[in-house]
Order: sequence, then structure tokens, then C-alpha cells
Amino acid sequence: MPSLLFEIGCEELPARACESAAAQLPDLVRTHVGPGEPQVFVGPRRIAFLLHDLVEREEDRVERRRGPSEQVAFDEQGEPTQAAEGFARSNGMAVSDLERADGFLWATQRIEGRPTVDVLPEALAALVRGLNFPKTMRWDASGLRFPRPIRWLCAKLDEATVPVSLDGLTASGASSGHRYTSPEAEIRSAGEYVETLRGAGVEPDQEVRRAEILRALEDVGEWSDPRNVLSEVVHLVERPLVLTGRYDERFLELPLRVIETVMQSHQRYFPLGPGRFAFVANGGNPELIVRGNENVLGGRLDDASFSYARDVALGIEDMAARLDSVRFHAKAGSFADKAERLQGLCDRLGGGDPSREAARLAKADQVSTMVHEFAELEGFMGGVYARLAGAPEAVAAAIEEHYLPDAAGGPLPATAAGRVLSAADKIDNLTVAFAVGERPTGSRDPYGLRRAAIGLCRLAVEGGLEIELPRLVQQALGDLTRQGAEVTDNPADVHEFVLERLEGLLDVPVEYVRAARAAQVGELGAVAHLAQALAAEAESDTFERAYTAYDRANRLAGKADGAAPALDPKLASDEAEVALLETLGAVAPRIEAAVAAREFGEALAAASELGPPVDRFFDEVLVMAEDEAVRANRLRLLLDVRDAVDLLGDLSQIPR
Amino acid sequence: MSAPTYQEMILRLERFWADYGCVIQQPYHTEVGAGTFNPATFLRCLGPEPWRSAYVEPSLRPSDGRYGENPYRFQQFWQYQVVLKPAPDDVLDVYFESLKALGIDPVDHDVRLVEDDWEGPTLGAWGLGWEVWIDGLEVTQFTYFQQLGGLDLDLITAEIVYGTERLAMYLQDKTSAFDLEWAPGVTWGDVYRENERQWSVYNFELADVALLTRRFEEDERECGRLLEHDLPIPAYDLVLKCSHTFNLLDSRGAISVTERASYIARVRALARRVAIAYLEGERAVAAL
Repeated sequence: MPSLLFEIGCEELPARACESAAAQLPDLVRTHVGPGEPQVFVGPRRIAFLLHDLVEREEDRVERRRGPSEQVAFDEQGEPTQAAEGFARSNGMAVSDLERADGFLWATQRIEGRPTVDVLPEALAALVRGLNFPKTMRWDASGLRFPRPIRWLCAKLDEATVPVSLDGLTASGASSGHRYTSPEAEIRSAGEYVETLRGAGVEPDQEVRRAEILRALEDVGEWSDPRNVLSEVVHLVERPLVLTGRYDERFLELPLRVIETVMQSHQRYFPLGPGRFAFVANGGNPELIVRGNENVLGGRLDDASFSYARDVALGIEDMAARLDSVRFHAKAGSFADKAERLQGLCDRLGGGDPSREAARLAKADQVSTMVHEFAELEGFMGGVYARLAGAPEAVAAAIEEHYLPDAAGGPLPATAAGRVLSAADKIDNLTVAFAVGERPTGSRDPYGLRRAAIGLCRLAVEGGLEIELPRLVQQALGDLTRQGAEVTDNPADVHEFVLERLEGLLDVPVEYVRAARAAQVGELGAVAHLAQALAAEAESDTFERAYTAYDRANRLAGKADGAAPALDPKLASDEAEVALLETLGAVAPRIEAAVAAREFGEALAAASELGPPVDRFFDEVLVMAEDEAVRANRLRLLLDVRDAVDLLGDLSQIPR
Repeated sequence: MSAPTYQEMILRLERFWADYGCVIQQPYHTEVGAGTFNPATFLRCLGPEPWRSAYVEPSLRPSDGRYGENPYRFQQFWQYQVVLKPAPDDVLDVYFESLKALGIDPVDHDVRLVEDDWEGPTLGAWGLGWEVWIDGLEVTQFTYFQQLGGLDLDLITAEIVYGTERLAMYLQDKTSAFDLEWAPGVTWGDVYRENERQWSVYNFELADVALLTRRFEEDERECGRLLEHDLPIPAYDLVLKCSHTFNLLDSRGAISVTERASYIARVRALARRVAIAYLEGERAVAAL
């Protein structure tokens, strides 16, 4: 059975486009070409796949088409009418070959499957058009869009060339080898694709390239890759050549992270310990290439040293003094205003002196040359400059860490002051955006507020920081107003916005988080713990009883009119009614105290005690009594039961 | 082949692209941040008429000045700009040939195309392409224009921008642009270092913010007035003046982050109106 090779030859593709194509190809191949597991190859100049064991031709199939009804098809003499003749003709058949069934004429035909080689041109063109990329371009008049120009197509079914045609390009057996050393590479048969390209200076298999790079890096020493440039580098070269270079040790006076950032963000180098680096070339003369790269890195480090020296000469205090002339937000003042708000928030969060001092200096590095050059070093540089100015380590560390967590699942600040400052910064960003009418909408979230909200949740849940969000937002709002910000909206929604993020973060079904969010608990970690407690007890009798009490009381009294404004024990006459009233009297304060103490298991146990008396009440007592006062009192009793359990949240959110 | 001087390198580029069929033009007379702003690119790459041109462009970026103290950063540097409209299918091969003309054989070096999506917000322009690295050094920006003046393009132009100082540093194996041999016995530093110092003082310390703010508004108004008279070519010069004035205000630290966005939007709006007027004018001429 034949093998198919299809290669889309491109000008140098972005690494992300390579990854994306590799992810899409298996399904597209199955949709357009046929079953099986294609071997996918992606790299800077090609997106390709090999599929083995294709069928030689499509399967034959039977098509049965319905024609006119027998009444219409035959006249009174039983002779075929024009309608019958027409239907037969349109199917290339004689009327006598048509079948009569169920009152209709039918044309049944066996359609012979076409040879695969005839089917493929259309299928492969559809496959190319089926690839989707977030960022595409035009490059000629054809109107075809792709991440970079497509320059050739190569398609072979064993030895046969498949004439795929796509907006003026027609596939041939010609691929291309290494851009500079072997521009031509004729693929004689699909099965020889990989070997032919290897002979032409190209390793088409991205996993082989990755493994080769890794092996070579292991050979050259203690390499590191803090920003994960490897996944990009794999798609920047067709024939990896790992080389090493040196840089002048005088640059080691720069913080190591600065050196690594210079190496990785601009150059995609791999740090190899003091004074050395590794990089991956795409072939060429190693001696020339190493010298060139050493010069480039030297220049970049020289530039960074220049910026660093300027910053150090200025010092963090002078940087902080300039913050009043740097706008944080057009409607919310300067970074100096922000620093003042952060100090207040740190106090309110119980952070003490280190976090307050860190808050004062946290944004100073926004005026540094280094952060201007390398935005990703914000915070880190502040920490460095604080240490150089003799700040206590707790202060410097808090400044350094306060943008954490900066990635999904990334680490939280390691120090207590760092966690407080991190929370303060996020609360301030959220409050400002909401207060000036720039809350995120749809996919628009230019200030990364969803990420900030998730970070805040994690600081509460994993970091154990107590975050009374409504009060903190009010405090920041008060400061904003006093500072003259253009407050147009009430930022109280920040609380809801942050709580919504808890739903995706906690490892419990969302209904429990929604139930817990409705509880009158203002502290972020407490909401999380409540959701977890509810979920942990979900299958227990305790939960069932508490739920029953809540649910039955709520169903009957929740929507009824006429409940008394307050419970009057003297109106309770029935035994079951008195029993419920007494249980409620004993249990309600316990629920309240336990919720306040965040002992949610305890609160749930107390609430569950309401279950049996509620059941009995419904069995024995007629709520809708004739006597209006009695009825109103019974409705009130049920509402009080509901409200007592309601301290644990809105249990009706939880499906039973 | 021994390393060419800076001027020899530029002469070789001129020769190469002249032989390829480009109209060799001269630098524009109004301050621009990049060769893309030259009307030989911005205006000529609009519309359906084929066009090939190449020229040196002094590129002014006031906030990149370093008082002549930093060997890699300048408030004025020199681009060699090539536009090929429409982009030929073998445009990359032609570009690699131009490197050979300078004495760089890609077989010996690590010549790489690294993704770089270009955007010129004040011109409402963007394109996709690459930085070209030679042995790790970025020497060229290569872009397929997709939009200019916020308008989709009839023909896709390939724009090749050589950073001449970088390229010369590479060819002459120098680690400082000031040490480049411009002509025999004369360095780049001899020609431009003092220039860098004085302009940095002006750009960062002395440029009159009130005057510049006023000038921006006057030029913006004048641009609109010229557009009313169907004169998109002179109107475009006023777009360039606004853009440069904005850059100067920025280097004086006189523009906040949000004001920045609004200034950019104002220049972009003018660029768009100019582009539309220019296209209408071209169509009117074609109809004669």
C-alpha cells in the first residue's frame, strides 16, 4: 500500500506557527486524506507529513436516488411519462433499469471509487486551506493567507508526483534542502523523504533536532534555559550546530539575571556558567560564527553595563523621588500616588514595616534605564538597587518579588512582606481600573487584571494571606478620591470579579464555589475554605441534613408573602413547631460563631441539626394555618431557619 | 575580499540595487524615524503601480541618543532602504545575493531569519517578516507590508532595511560604531560623534516643549488645510513633521503614557487621510 509525502515549503516560519501546524496536522490529515497516524515534520522552512498504507483507490459505493412517484411516472396505459424518461436520462440509465418501490421510481448506481492519486490533489489543497493560524499574511496577488509565504509544494505518492495545485503553485517532486548549501533536493519517492533531506543538510524531524541540541548542550557543560528559549530554537534551525562562546568576565559585575536576560531575550543563548554561553547555529564556519556571536554579546552586555552604571549612580532613593513625574494612569495620577496607596494597603493587610518600606520603593525602578530596556526585569532591578542602597533584605526581597505570581502556576513570593506587597499591588491595579471605568470586557484585558485576580486568590488560598477584599478596595478608593483621581465608577465589583476567578482555581466543582461566594464572608481565603468544606462534605449525611433544612424552608417560605417581621415564640403552639424553634435558637448562634471562626465543618455540623426538626415540622405542621398571625409566624420561622443555614452560602446552587 | 569602508559598503549596495532595477533615490529632506517614512516608500507602496526603489535614509530617533558615549545607540543612524513592489517570489534569494556583493557568503556564516512583526503605529502601518541575523547580529529588517495608512494594500511590497552601522561593524570586525572606517583614514566617530553629543543635549534637555507643542498643532492644522486643497504630497510632509515633533516631545519626557497614545492616534489619522487622498489622486491621473 502506498505512502504519501506532502510538504508545504515556506519562507522562515515563526516557531509558534510550526508548533501550531504540528498540533493541527494529524486531525486534518484524517479528515482530508485518510485514517492513520501521520508522521509530522515542522521546521522553519517546511510543514510536512508522511502517511503510510494509503488505500490504492477509494472504495466503490452505491448511490440510490429517488425519482418521481409512480403515479407521475407512468400514464394510464402504464407507459413511462416524460418525467420518468427525464429522471432516467439524468442518471444515465434507461427507464427499464429503474427500480419501483414504495410508490416511487429509484435509480440505484454503483459508483466506482477513484484512484487515490486522483483524489489527493483536491484533498491536499483543502488540507492546506484547513490550517488555521492566529496571525497570517498575504505575499502576492493570489490572496492566499499563511503565516509566511508558501514557495513550493512537494507531493509524492510513492514515486508518483501528486499534482496538487494551490493558487498558482503546483506541487512537484522538488523540495529544498539547507537554504545556503543545498537549495535543490529532489524527492524520488515518499519513503525517501527523510533520508533525502538529511543528505541535503536538513534534519526535518523536530524531535530529532531537539534531541540533538539537548545532547550537544549536555556535552558542553552546565547549561541553563531560564526563559525556555529551546522550544523556539528548535524551529529556528534546520541543521542544529551547537557552539560555545565566551564573554569578558568584567561583565560579571552585572547581576547574573541581567546577563541571562540579555543572552536569552535578544539572542536565544544558553547561559553556561560565568563567562561562557552556548548557542545553536544553522550551519556555517564555526570559527567565524563564534567570533561574531561573541562580539554581539559583548556589545549587548556593554550596553547593559552602561545602563546599569547610570542607574546605580542615580540610586533608588533618587529614582523614587522622580516617581511623582511619571504617570501611572491618566485618570489615577502618578507612580508616587500609587506608592502612597500601596503603603496604606500594606498597613491594612498587616504587613508591618518591611512591606510598607518596600511599597514606598517598589515602583522606583520604573524610572530606571534597565527597566526601560528590559521590561521583564521590573521588580528584580528594584530589589537590586534597594540592596545597593543598604535596604534591609526583607525590603529588597519584597520589592523583587512583588510581581509574583507572574505565570499560571508560577511561584508566589517567598517572603511575608513580598506576599503582602504583591497583594497590595494587585488590589490597587484592580481598584484603579474599575474605578476609572476600565474593567476588562470580553477578551479585552489590557492591564492583565484577570491574571492579577487569580494571583490574589492564590495569595489567599496558598499563601495564607488574609485578604478582606471589600474593605481593602474601599480604602484604595478613598485614597484615589483624596488624591484627585477621576473616579467614575464604584469599584465594589472588584470583589465579585476576584471571586469569579476562584471558580477556576479551586479543585472543587464550580457549584460549591458559587454557593460559598454567596455567604457573607468577606475574606478571600475563607470563601475558598468554605467551598472546600462544602465539597468535602457533599456526600455526607451531615450535608444532606443541612441541605434539607435549607431547601425545604426556602422552597416554601422563600417566595411566600406575609411572613412576620420577627419571630414570636408565644405564637408557636404545635409540638413540632416548638421543637424546631428551640433547635434553631440553640443552633443559629453556633453556626454564626463557627463561620466567624472559619470552622466551616463545625458550622455545617450545627446546621445539620436543623434537618430532622425541619422534616418533622413539615410532616406535622400546617404552615398555611387559618390564623393569619400563626401563619405569618410560621413563615418567619422557616425564613429564620433558611437564613441561619444561609451563613454557609447559597446551598441552592448545589445540584442534588 | 578585504573589508569595505563604510562608504564603499554603501556604494556596493547602491550598485547592487541599481543593477537589480531599482530607482536609486536620495535621502528625504524632512526628518524621519525610518526609511519607511520617506514618501518613496509610504506613498509609492500604496496603490496598484509597480515600484522599485533604494536609498540611504538618515533615521532620527531622539530618545535613542546617548551623548556620543555609547557605541551602539545614536539619535541619528543610517538605514539603507529597499522597496520592491510587488515582492518578487525570489526576493529572499536576491537579498542574500546582496550580502554576497558585500563580501558575506551565507555558506560560511550563520544567516538566519528570525520572526519579527513590524508595526509603525504613527503611519497606521504593519507587516510581517524577520530580523536577519548574521552570526547573531541583527543587520536587516525584512518586512512584507500588509497595511499602510490603515489601508489594505493592492500589491504587497517587500521592504528590506539594512542597518548600515551594524552591517559595517560586522564587515570591519569593529565593536564600536565610532571606530568604523568611513573613508580611508576617517572614522564614523570623526564624522558624527560630536553631532551625537550636541543633538543629545538638545533632544533631552533643551528642546522647547511649549514651542514643540504649538508646532505640532500648527503642522497638524496645516496638513488638514492642504488635504482640503487635494495636495496629499505636501500634506504628507506635515505628517512627517508632526511625527518628528512628537518624538522630540517624547524624548523630553513631556508626554505621558496616555497622551502618547493620543498623539500617535492624531498622527495616524493624518497619515490615513493622506493615504486616501493620494490614492484618489493616483486614480484621477490614471483616468485621464
